[in-house]
Amino acid sequence: MKKSKSMLIGAMAVLAVGQGLMSSGVILPQWSKNYKPRAEGIDGQLGPDQLLFALAGFRELIAGILWVQADRFFETGNYDAILPIIRLVTLLDPKQIDVYSTGMWHIGYNFTDEEQRSDRRYIPSALALGKEGATKNDYTYEMFFETGWMWYHKVQDDFPKAVDWFLQAQEKKDMQQARKNVLGMAYQRNGQPDKALETYLRLYNESDALLKKEQIYSHFQNKETLEKNADNTLIRMIQRGWLAEQEGTFDQGSYDTKPPFDVQFSARVTVEEARVIRVEGFWGVRPVGTRVRFILRDSDYPDAIPGGMLWDKTDTVSLDPPRDRTWAQDELFVRNQRFNRKLDLSKDPTMYSFLQPEYTIEFYYNPRVAPPHIQDKFGWSGEGMTDKNFLRTDVREGSRVVFTQLTLTRDQILRRGEWADKVPIVQTKNFIAPRNVRTEDEILVTPGMLSEPLEPKLNKGERLGGGEN
Amino acid sequence: MRPILSIAGTTVGEAIRRRVLLIILLVGILFLAIAPGLSILSARQERAVLIGLTLGVIQLTSVVIAIVLTVYMIPNEIERRTIYTILCKPVQRWQFLVGKYLGAVAALALMMAMMTVVLIVVYAIQQQVYSPDQLAPLAKAPVMFFVQMSLLAAVAIFFSTFVTPLVNFFLSGGLYLIGSAFSSFFESISQSANVQPFAKGIATFANMILPNFAYYNVQNPLINPQQAIQNETVYYIQVTVYGLFYIGILLVGGILIFDRREV
Repeated sequence: MKKSKSMLIGAMAVLAVGQGLMSSGVILPQWSKNYKPRAEGIDGQLGPDQLLFALAGFRELIAGILWVQADRFFETGNYDAILPIIRLVTLLDPKQIDVYSTGMWHIGYNFTDEEQRSDRRYIPSALALGKEGATKNDYTYEMFFETGWMWYHKVQDDFPKAVDWFLQAQEKKDMQQARKNVLGMAYQRNGQPDKALETYLRLYNESDALLKKEQIYSHFQNKETLEKNADNTLIRMIQRGWLAEQEGTFDQGSYDTKPPFDVQFSARVTVEEARVIRVEGFWGVRPVGTRVRFILRDSDYPDAIPGGMLWDKTDTVSLDPPRDRTWAQDELFVRNQRFNRKLDLSKDPTMYSFLQPEYTIEFYYNPRVAPPHIQDKFGWSGEGMTDKNFLRTDVREGSRVVFTQLTLTRDQILRRGEWADKVPIVQTKNFIAPRNVRTEDEILVTPGMLSEPLEPKLNKGERLGGGEN
Repeated sequence: MRPILSIAGTTVGEAIRRRVLLIILLVGILFLAIAPGLSILSARQERAVLIGLTLGVIQLTSVVIAIVLTVYMIPNEIERRTIYTILCKPVQRWQFLVGKYLGAVAALALMMAMMTVVLIVVYAIQQQVYSPDQLAPLAKAPVMFFVQMSLLAAVAIFFSTFVTPLVNFFLSGGLYLIGSAFSSFFESISQSANVQPFAKGIATFANMILPNFAYYNVQNPLINPQQAIQNETVYYIQVTVYGLFYIGILLVGGILIFDRREV
């Protein structure tokens, strides 16, 4: 018995050493690499019961239950409640890419004021979530593409960032063929039509090879799209004088972007009531399609830059935007060379707190986001656009933009103190109030839409009356 | 070997007749059946939520079954004095203990297999996937859970040789929690530059002593199949061998203690 006991103890010792060696030497490194839950920070955000379950290996179960809960909130429109769930699910199971992408979209797009203006204070958090998702899921293109899309479509500025993210997405093997085209679009937005053309042609060849390998409609459709994109880009490069500029022959030829067109921008901001402002102005471009970016923000808004902010400066996903900070941003649609918009900022005090003493109003137009028919005149980087008062080349690298700032005080916006009975108006020095009645040459008649002129026929330059007010 | 198999067979029969285990099993199966309803409610994550929930239910149910099944095994035999009728036959104590353990593991296997079948059926119906190639990978996690539960059962049966069932319930449950969470904690400590060498030494020692239940939580790549896991099969074999080593240690320890115990 004594002998068998010694044998048993010996066996135990051997097994103990064996398991110890296996655990630390062989299994642990593999487990850390492939299976270890990376969930830093869940302890501070989970309830005790949830934390217990999560630690006990039921992270995915908790994540699933939480995500089901999120859907209920989506349906009821309780968007605020979804934010912590998104954060928890991504912390519990950082491999759930759809939660990252849905969360990023939700944070970036769904928080709006009463007039559907997006709350831009959330954008840095959305981008931080995208960054985190890409880092934790670097084996797939998805979060790289989604983050690039956020820059391309939502931020609509700083296009080198969009290009960079799309390039990283393209490096992944699972990148969808049809989605690769967006890199070409981003290059165009970034003022690099040559790179865009190069991308389209490369993808065209790829699609052609795929089509030869597999005769399916999606490859055919993709090839057709790329061919059209490459054609359009090439034609635009010629017509807009881009190629000539590269070759140094721009001065010798006649191109659409020559001579630069003066947009004659001017603007006026009127505080009609407390927190209600009217923005109006002139933009000398007849065809519709121009949107001038308007920003009203705290003058000392952190990380603000002309026409925007350093959107991706933070790596922290904050569920609560700075409530004491105000950032109102809108796109002013230009029609008949005018924009006129009333912005009621009184209904969303959590979005527009107006707690700071001074506010900066910015007007910003970058031709890189212009639609193609306007870019045909302005060029990709504004080489065909000018403004004798507000053209700036120092605001965005490599791009000629229209930019100006005005200032309002808190008392003016809230119509308090000395401004209780006065209407605060700030305007650019060249602002001219619009006339009530337009001359004939100012009325844009769309062929086929009107059978009769709206007004009695007038000689050019003749007015019906009223004049400037 | 025959006495061991005989005791194991009897244990399986007892386990199947125990109402509390059947109720736990039924609740688990019920949750598995309603899981598709919950997954439909999840935005863009139906598949992930369905697999996550169902695997979680299987694991949770199995933990409860494994502990409840094994904590009472030896103490009940002693309390009801049925152990005398066994030990008076030519059956040695170690055979009794090993037979009981194998019976518990077989009962666990049976119950977990039932839940896995329900999981696969539910998944097939909800996802409209009927190809064995797509359904078979789902069984990977339950297989690993089975090794995990076998280890947990060994822990519980080890404790059952010298503590009361209630204490054993909390001891085994507690060890499961610690064993599931400790690896991440240990890794953080071992990688932190601020931790003193002495503390690192203790952490390393604890990591080698404690059974690591987290190694068997392999469900994440199944829920998020975009991840490419290298040498998956090799890993599964390694953790199974690791589990067998640990089970061996616990059973030998249990035998040594049970051998000296007065019944």
